[in-house]
Amino acid sequence: MEAVYIDKNLELVKKCMQGSRAAQFELYKLYAKAMYNVALRILNYEEEAEDVLQEAFLDAFTRIVDFRQETTFGLWLKQIVINKSINYLRKRKMEFVSTDELSEVPDEDSFDDSEVRLQADEIRAAITELPDGYRVVLSLYLLEGYDHEEIAHILKISENTSRTQYMRAKKKLKSILEQKGMRDE
Amino acid sequence: MNNRLETFVKENRKAFDVMEPSAGLWAKIEQELDNKKKKKPVKLYLWMSAAAAIVVVFGLVWLYAEKLQNKDLEIADVSASYAKKEVHFAGLITEKRDSLAIFASANPELYKKFTADLKKLDEDYERLKAELPTSPNQTFVVKAMVKNREIQLQLLKQQLLIINQVDDYKRVNQI
Repeated sequence: MEAVYIDKNLELVKKCMQGSRAAQFELYKLYAKAMYNVALRILNYEEEAEDVLQEAFLDAFTRIVDFRQETTFGLWLKQIVINKSINYLRKRKMEFVSTDELSEVPDEDSFDDSEVRLQADEIRAAITELPDGYRVVLSLYLLEGYDHEEIAHILKISENTSRTQYMRAKKKLKSILEQKGMRDE
Repeated sequence: MNNRLETFVKENRKAFDVMEPSAGLWAKIEQELDNKKKKKPVKLYLWMSAAAAIVVVFGLVWLYAEKLQNKDLEIADVSASYAKKEVHFAGLITEKRDSLAIFASANPELYKKFTADLKKLDEDYERLKAELPTSPNQTFVVKAMVKNREIQLQLLKQQLLIINQVDDYKRVNQI
C-alpha cells in the first residue's frame, strides 16, 4: 500500500519537473492541508500560515528539478514549510529560548495526567495558547515527529535546550488542559 | 513522566490537521507560477537578442574590414596591360587638365561647364573602382574604367580645342 502511494507521488513529481500544471495541482491538493496545519501550529496566525504555504509551494515547484529522491516529496515540502515558518517567527524577533514563562509552570515534577481527559480538539486549542518558544518545540517534536537533534538543528539551539523546552511546554500544556477541564465541570 | 500525551497524539494524528487554507490560495500560487514562467522566456529572449546583436555587429565589422582590404585592389591586380593603358591615360589627363586650368581665368564660365562634365565622368570612374573588388566580372569593370579614362581624355582634348578657338576668336576681335 505504502509503496503504491510513493510511486504515485513520484509520477506526479516527474510530471511537475516537466512543468505540468495538472500535476502541480494534484500535489497541492495532496499536501496543502497538512502543510497549512504545520505552518499554522508554528506561526499561530492564519494569514502568515497562508503566506508561508504559498511561498513554500512556489519554491517547491520552481526548485523541483533540485529534488533528489533521497526523501519523499512530502518530507521535502515539509522542510521548506518549517524553514519558512521559522524565518517568519524570527522576523517577529521571537526567541526560541525563553525563561520568562518558567514561573507559570507548575512546580510538581511528577505531574499526573491520568485525570486529564485527552481530546484532540482540546489539545489543539491548548497548543495555540502556549508561548511561541514552547509551541514551536512541542509542535515539531509531538506532531511533526522530529527528534531533539533535528529540532536543535532547525532552531539553531542545543539539543539539551530543545529537551528542556519540550518538557516545560508539555507541563504548561497540561496545566492549560487541566484548567479547561475544571472550567467545564 | 509518562508518554500518554505522545501516544494519544500518535494515535489521533489526523485529528490535529483540521484547519483548511482558504480556497483561493491555489489560484494565487497558479498566478505566481504563470508570472515566473512568463519572466523566464523574456529573459532568455533578451539574452538571445543580445547575442544576435553581437553577432551582427561582429559580422558588419568583419565585412567592413574585408571591404577596406579589398579597396586596395587596383586595375593592375586584374590586368597588367589595362593598368598600363590606364596609367598612360591618367598621365595625359592630368597634363590636359593643367593646360585647361591655364585658360580658366580667361573663360571662367566655360571652365565651370567643362569641369562639371569631367566631374561626372570622374564620379563614374570612382563608382566603377568601388565596384571592382566585389564584381563577378572584374575584367569587364576594368575595361569600363579604362574606357572612362579614354573618354575623359577625348573630352579634355575637345574642351582644349574649343577653348583655344574661343581664345583665338577673342584675340582677333580685340585687335
